[in-house]
Amino acid sequence: MVIRVIGAFLAVVCFSILLEMPLRQVLYAGFVGGIGWMMYLLVGVRGSDVAAAFVSSLVIALLCHILARIFKMPVTVYFVAGILPSVPGASIYRAVLYLIQGKTGLSNYYMVQTLQIAGAIAMAIFIMDSLFRVGKKERCPLRRQTEE
Amino acid sequence: MDYKMLMETAVSAGEIMLSSGAEIYRVEDTMNYILRTAQVRTADAYVLSTGIIATLEDPRIDTITVVRRVGRRSTNLNRICQVNDISRKYCAGYLSLEEANGELKKAERTLIYRDFAKKLSIVGVTGFFALLLGGSILDGITAAVAGAVLALAMWLLENVSLNDFCNNAIGGFVIAYTSFALKQWIFPGCNLDLVIIGTIMPIVPGVTFTTAIRDTLNGDYSSGVARMVEAAVVALAVAAGVGTAMVVWKSIMGGSMLWS
Repeated sequence: MVIRVIGAFLAVVCFSILLEMPLRQVLYAGFVGGIGWMMYLLVGVRGSDVAAAFVSSLVIALLCHILARIFKMPVTVYFVAGILPSVPGASIYRAVLYLIQGKTGLSNYYMVQTLQIAGAIAMAIFIMDSLFRVGKKERCPLRRQTEE
Repeated sequence: MDYKMLMETAVSAGEIMLSSGAEIYRVEDTMNYILRTAQVRTADAYVLSTGIIATLEDPRIDTITVVRRVGRRSTNLNRICQVNDISRKYCAGYLSLEEANGELKKAERTLIYRDFAKKLSIVGVTGFFALLLGGSILDGITAAVAGAVLALAMWLLENVSLNDFCNNAIGGFVIAYTSFALKQWIFPGCNLDLVIIGTIMPIVPGVTFTTAIRDTLNGDYSSGVARMVEAAVVALAVAAGVGTAMVVWKSIMGGSMLWS
């Protein structure tokens, strides 16, 4: 478990470099990814993959929003790399691979799993986004003229 | 106020963000903030995942509408940050329109990391992903070696301008074939499934897929569907490459099945 979390941290750090993240933010993103993956593993022991993806994404989204507020960066910057370990890359690949091999049943199973996990992740992100948007001031207030 | 210049600034900000992989609502918001500093009756930006339409309309001026096609897309977080920063500063009044425009031109070309660092990080991603998925140290090393071969293949492919589908398919093929060879001759103890999945991570479209669902939940349906199809096509290419490698390996090695 420790090895897996460290692996997640380093994988996210490397991926951030691949995505051209500013050097100062790379470590924070790795930190987010590590914690997210730890949550995923902790929930995954008891619950389903979908529940694990949901909870870990909630935690990741929360951390990303906090970091984005601290460093005045767009939230996506931390998101894209931090969410990476939980993202259903493996199952989307398996779905198509089994489709090519003619194992339709397995392919369908993984396709549905991909959709469920991606849905759970997006839902978690969406919930956090909406929570943080409540009470947020407009960045550049609308100054339309009134004498129309 | 120079409305044409304003439009140019807004559209190029949108273009940089969109081609760097920002979400649709972020691109639209940024463009709208910039356009609304003109204080005209209608200032609207409409963004799709493949292009931008923006318009300024007011009785005082001729209507300005710009259409911009955005073709190549890849993720570049630094550019998103920079454009975000520039638009904030411009809206808050710290930058003039000319300065903002100049800064955007600069941001369009910046790259932080050297090519070599990126290739090295591909090796890192593949190796550590195998660990993350529950592999042993041996699996990590095997995946890192396969990742190095992938990085080499990607570097070679950059010089041949093929389309993305072919690039991804060749990437998948190289990964699978290298993994089979490593399993057969060098690291027989490794878990082939984990190695392949760890190694395909740099090219598999997990992030695109999740962004697609986010776009959809935000109400940008057309972009959501477009991105979903994009993810599906990339996954198809990678899996096709891996599948071909399996068939080729089987026919060369006389049906020795390494994978179950």
